[in-house]
Amino acid sequence: MIAKTGEVTVDGVKVEFGQGETLLDVSNRLGRHVPTLCHDERLAPAGACRTCLVEVEGVRRMVPACRTPASDGQKVTTANERIDKHRRLLLGLYLTDHPAGRSDCEDGAPCELHAMAANYEAPTDWTPIPLTRAGRSEDVNPYIQFREDRCIACARCTRYCDEVEGVNAITLAGRGAATTISTVDSEGLFDTTCELCGGCVAVCPTGAMAEKMPLTAGAPPERELQKVRTTCNYCGVGCQMDLNVDTQASDGKGQVVKITSPPPGTPPSDGNLCVKGRFAYDFVDHPDRLKVPLIRREDGELHEASWEEALEFAAKGLLRVQQDHGKDALAFVSSSRCTAEENYLVQKMARVAFGTNNVHQCAAT
Amino acid sequence: MKKEEHRERIPDELQKFAEGDGSASVAVSKLTGIPAADVFGVETFYDLLGKRDTKVHVCTGLSCQLQGADELLEKCRQVGLDATPYSCLAACDCAPAILKDRRTLVEVSEKDIERTKGDWQALDSKEVPSSQLWSGQIYPTTSSPETCAIDLAGAPDWMGTSSNLALELGPEGVIAAIDESGLQGRGGAGFPAGFKWKSVRGQAETKRYVVLNADEAEPGTFKDREVMMKRPDLVLEGLAIAARVVEATEIYMYLRGEFEIPQQVMTEAIELAHSNGLYSDLHFHVHSGQGAYICGEETALLESLEGRRGMPREKPPFPTEVGLWGKPTLIQNVETIACVPAILQRGGEWFRALGRTEAGSKLYCLSGHVARPGVYELPLGATLEELVEAAGGYIGKLKAFSPGGASSGFLPASERNRPLDFKSLAEIGSMLGSAGVVVMNESVDMAKAVQSQLLFFERESCGQCAPCRIGTAHQRHSLDSFMDERDEAAKSRCLKQVDDVAWEMREGSICGLGQTASLPLESARKYFPKEFQ
Repeated sequence: MIAKTGEVTVDGVKVEFGQGETLLDVSNRLGRHVPTLCHDERLAPAGACRTCLVEVEGVRRMVPACRTPASDGQKVTTANERIDKHRRLLLGLYLTDHPAGRSDCEDGAPCELHAMAANYEAPTDWTPIPLTRAGRSEDVNPYIQFREDRCIACARCTRYCDEVEGVNAITLAGRGAATTISTVDSEGLFDTTCELCGGCVAVCPTGAMAEKMPLTAGAPPERELQKVRTTCNYCGVGCQMDLNVDTQASDGKGQVVKITSPPPGTPPSDGNLCVKGRFAYDFVDHPDRLKVPLIRREDGELHEASWEEALEFAAKGLLRVQQDHGKDALAFVSSSRCTAEENYLVQKMARVAFGTNNVHQCAAT
Repeated sequence: MKKEEHRERIPDELQKFAEGDGSASVAVSKLTGIPAADVFGVETFYDLLGKRDTKVHVCTGLSCQLQGADELLEKCRQVGLDATPYSCLAACDCAPAILKDRRTLVEVSEKDIERTKGDWQALDSKEVPSSQLWSGQIYPTTSSPETCAIDLAGAPDWMGTSSNLALELGPEGVIAAIDESGLQGRGGAGFPAGFKWKSVRGQAETKRYVVLNADEAEPGTFKDREVMMKRPDLVLEGLAIAARVVEATEIYMYLRGEFEIPQQVMTEAIELAHSNGLYSDLHFHVHSGQGAYICGEETALLESLEGRRGMPREKPPFPTEVGLWGKPTLIQNVETIACVPAILQRGGEWFRALGRTEAGSKLYCLSGHVARPGVYELPLGATLEELVEAAGGYIGKLKAFSPGGASSGFLPASERNRPLDFKSLAEIGSMLGSAGVVVMNESVDMAKAVQSQLLFFERESCGQCAPCRIGTAHQRHSLDSFMDERDEAAKSRCLKQVDDVAWEMREGSICGLGQTASLPLESARKYFPKEFQ
């Protein structure tokens, strides 16, 4: 619990706040819904999308809740006629610079803007303005596609790439209505510092940063997919991730068509994933994937076997080497895909069951 | 190399690499240690950076439009000279103007364009501005130090008279004089100068900066150019006095990039002052902007000085507390700082009494349909009638005027006797702003005049916040379709949303650009409703 540093009144309710808390933090804690588009708790607040403006008594202009520190005695209003009007008109304005139809827009990820506009009953009949944001359609990387028509220039992606990943592959570029997301000299991501972690896709509120594979494969939109929380098995960190399963695919057997991040704050990795976790999921349904143990029999071919059979076969082989050549003729290397607990068990097996200290882990060098 | 140590060099270095082969951003990234994408973000923000294939830029500010900017663009097209429209070049008194690479040419004629035969390097105007030449007319031509605080016609003083006086008075004495004078910031907001000085002086942080805002780019405004060209002594002396009061030793002068010649003048002035033994305790850094109007907004200016995209910061905190590199910073406009020496010499009371409705004398920039465009130093609170009388009268019959730059919107002829001061103009929803007064006669189509201003704001919006980024584009497109639409019934629908959009831009935008960008349209519709039906 954060130490109390003062008290503010939010919509008539007194609430304590701690060091460093903003009006958005306090309002959220109180269950008052203040909308945001450019906010992400992992990032320094930008105050750019303007959806979170609230009133503070004695301050003429509305202030962005996301970057206004709470201060003792403040009286905050998060909803009234002026604020509602502001949200409605602002969202109406956003829609003039965004693909009109929600279902078209949401061919991949759900669109926070459309959801918010519907929620606040924003006008949908305003005349659209012509698109002037530049795209990077010739970028051949297989994973990430920037769709400039959907971009609202909230800069969540560029700030994430900078502040969380420390990669700085993408930037706000241009000026005014033409402000867009670009890379150095508009190069393809392969020719930049990009590590293809896909964090930009995860933080994008509108699907402007999109994953290419499900789009090219014609997967159903994300809202129709079933999310299954699991642990990434590419390394021992244990990042949580959501498999997005098309339950109708493969004749009803279901198929993983996308991986998405759990919300920020989810341990152990705060919703962050790497290129493997986010994009290398096609092994799941690959025909070459091993699903049962294989033993190479005397005919030189691999044959399917049960786990008991396979373990016994391996144990016998190891013991034979030990008998013929001594204990230190054996060495064990565990995979970086193992967890700490699994690594512990490997070294215990090496030392106790086989009597050797020759044990290592492939990620330890 | 510390992570951000060389960031401030980015714009200058990008300028050096712009013409070379290969990527300027990559080269500058290697030099500064700032990621290449970040550098590219800076490069693409500014009009004067990047690969500029087009070298000829025609000013399409309102005053230049009134003097035939569109015709110049058309002529360029005819002779095969690659040219693009450009935001106001602060040469409204010698319109129309053209930016040739980084040099401003004034009073350019269609003949000048013809003569180029399509070669931009051959472009010249008869008034080729050399360091002596690029300055316009000032009035009164024989101004007197008794009645004019700046006294543009006066002889420069390289003795440091006022700064020596300031040392005798001590910081508190100087602040008392500034307070007594009632000096308000002359960049646009009219904020009391003394208050800022006190605020910076009172900060616990001891590393402080003084910044000169010479990014004069509000359409219709060219007074700071004249002050720097004719009285650089006052600018330096005012800065020196301010720096000593707030206990700063580093002074940053941010001049718009198109002010190549004023920059030369100021640089020479610094050398002259130093060689005269003046201000040896102070460092003056002359910084060139790279073509972005928004950098006249003080927090955007700080971002730009630090080597970033010029996107305004949220206020509070104000720069007086958290400014350049996070340190307390005093930012003053050229004209404001140039008033300081006279205030110290003749006293705050004297300065206050120079004004009529508010304190001091004021530089008014007069352009458009008047006989003698130029800079006029008159009592603050002078009316349009007085200004134009001093300028030899109207050309044609007065229809409308813009009292303080594009951001002030338009006023009808019936306001010709209203005092042009901060309060009186605010009362009717306009503003004195930078006192860039543009006069329009009956020949002017208001919709066309509004279009020029809306295009300006659209082009110059930084793009950071949605109300301004989308709103400026929305308003301009709405007006365009209104002007293009021939069907009467459809015409009225074109402007249906502009009031709502204007409301949102005013309430939701981060900075003054977006907050006021709809004013030209709103005010023109209010005072000239028939032209928008």
